[in-house]
Amino acid sequence: MSAATAQHSPLTAPREERFNYNNLGPLLFGLLVATGVGFVVALLACFTPMGWKQFLFSWLYAFMFFFTISAGSLFWTMLHYAVDAEWSVVVRRILETMANSFSVLWAFFIPIVLGAGVVYGWMYGVPAGVDPALDGKRAMLNPKVWAIFTVLIFSFFFSASYTLRWLSTRQDKTGDPGCTTKSRKVSFASIPLFAVLLTAAAIFWVMSIQYHWYSTMWGVYLFAGSAWSSMATLILITQWLRSRGHLQGIVSTQHFHIMGKLLLSFTVFWAYIAFSQFFLIWYANIPEETEFFLIRNTESWNVWAIGLEVVGHFFITFVLLCPRVMKTNPKYLCYVSGWVLLMHACDIYFIVNPFLNPTGVNPLSMIFDLAALVAIGAPLAFVFLRTLGKHSLYALRDPRLPESLRLVN
Amino acid sequence: MPAATLQAPANTIPAMPPRKLYGLGAELPSAAALFHAAESMRDAGFKRWDVFSPFPIHGMDEAMGLGKSIVSFIVLGGGLTGMATALLLEIGSAVYLYPLIVQGKPVTWATIPAFFPVIFELTILFSAFGAVFGMLAMNLLPRWHHPIFNWDRFARVTDDGFFVVVEASDPRFNDKDTVAFLSGLGATNITMVYDD
Repeated sequence: MSAATAQHSPLTAPREERFNYNNLGPLLFGLLVATGVGFVVALLACFTPMGWKQFLFSWLYAFMFFFTISAGSLFWTMLHYAVDAEWSVVVRRILETMANSFSVLWAFFIPIVLGAGVVYGWMYGVPAGVDPALDGKRAMLNPKVWAIFTVLIFSFFFSASYTLRWLSTRQDKTGDPGCTTKSRKVSFASIPLFAVLLTAAAIFWVMSIQYHWYSTMWGVYLFAGSAWSSMATLILITQWLRSRGHLQGIVSTQHFHIMGKLLLSFTVFWAYIAFSQFFLIWYANIPEETEFFLIRNTESWNVWAIGLEVVGHFFITFVLLCPRVMKTNPKYLCYVSGWVLLMHACDIYFIVNPFLNPTGVNPLSMIFDLAALVAIGAPLAFVFLRTLGKHSLYALRDPRLPESLRLVN
Repeated sequence: MPAATLQAPANTIPAMPPRKLYGLGAELPSAAALFHAAESMRDAGFKRWDVFSPFPIHGMDEAMGLGKSIVSFIVLGGGLTGMATALLLEIGSAVYLYPLIVQGKPVTWATIPAFFPVIFELTILFSAFGAVFGMLAMNLLPRWHHPIFNWDRFARVTDDGFFVVVEASDPRFNDKDTVAFLSGLGATNITMVYDD
């Protein structure tokens, strides 16, 4: 709808719109079955030559995939309040519900905690005095600090996403504009914490596996992937809801256009960060920095790096998203978003799996990685769908809703 | 000059050459009126016309029936030119003309990561050139003067005036009918604007 006509047409008070569970029974049941099957198949990894270690790395891979998507959803929610955005009011409830997965995500980290000594070799495997490089990092790389940060990370991500969602759904009932200003304050306070703790998660959970290696861009690298993949997930979920008859007259092509533009911008941002990290390490050629890329730029991992990271992750996505029609047509945008999620899965795989298989891609490992993806993804999807129906599908009484409804960009 | 020559009979004054009509200007009371006028103009099938307001009006491109601008293709051309320029300058000189081993890096295509920053910068620079100069060219800018400035009321366009201007070269343009059409849209001060 155009701006000038909207100014003259009386704006009807938006009706509450609840998620419709019709015909969803088989899907919800299927998700529960998939959870069990995925978990059992992932556990079969214990019978491979790698054993328990194989299971842990598959599990860590799947966990990081969903952790980054959930963290990205929280990021977009906080950004919405911090910059007082108009366009995202209509899709914010979906983002809040996606970020709500932090209420259960901690449970999926338990296997990693139990097997921390196996995944993180520095934890118990290397006695003091053997490795001077590690001893210099002991102030940070010790089980106590690791545990403290793990608790801090989950507490923060859960409380921030819970508070923002609570304030937002409370506003649905009370219509109090104070909820928006309070959310804004929560977001301002949370953004620095988000940056520090997402970086901490990237360092403690992933980078420290190869404890000699360090990169100052690591936290930003995971952040770029988080914001990118969560935007793609948001596009897919929004269009899925629309295809089920929801959000008609609420979410328009204009909103998809903005989401497409943000997806494009984070495609470029990721490439910028990822290349900068590679470039500086490659050029400086310092042994403790290059070991990460030495594994990943040899054997079949190099094919992966060029084919899936450089060409697939960046070039194809970039070219696909350049024409305007790809961003304004929800159907095309959904195809690209599916591709984005696939590339994000490949990116996290490229980060985590070479620690386990330094000599090249291991097809056997992939079975368990996929199973772990299902074992974590299916229950998260279940929780998402159950939570989605508890409140209106969009922020019903947000002060900026009228502006968001008649968005023109 | 003697005063007597000023009192020459009227019939001796040489006839003015016929003035070339640029188009019809019309003023509208508000942004919303301008928006609806634009929709009507679009639906009536006018081709060479434009609207003017002191500030951008969201959705006006659609109300006017403007398609997508071709500037994006000029930008793409600019970006590709920049990329090719950087590749030529760097690969050509560092790999073929003066191969030097720097930092132990190979002097083949495999050293392309070292060239990326310049490729990246030149791609962006030439894309930006394409965007700015492409936009100027599409708008026929820069130019010294425009016939519409011959209309004194038009000065208010930078303050509080909303205007529609139909050019005389529009295939649907017709003095009387277009005046009637514009006044039907609620326009006031409908004025013939001349080209000199």
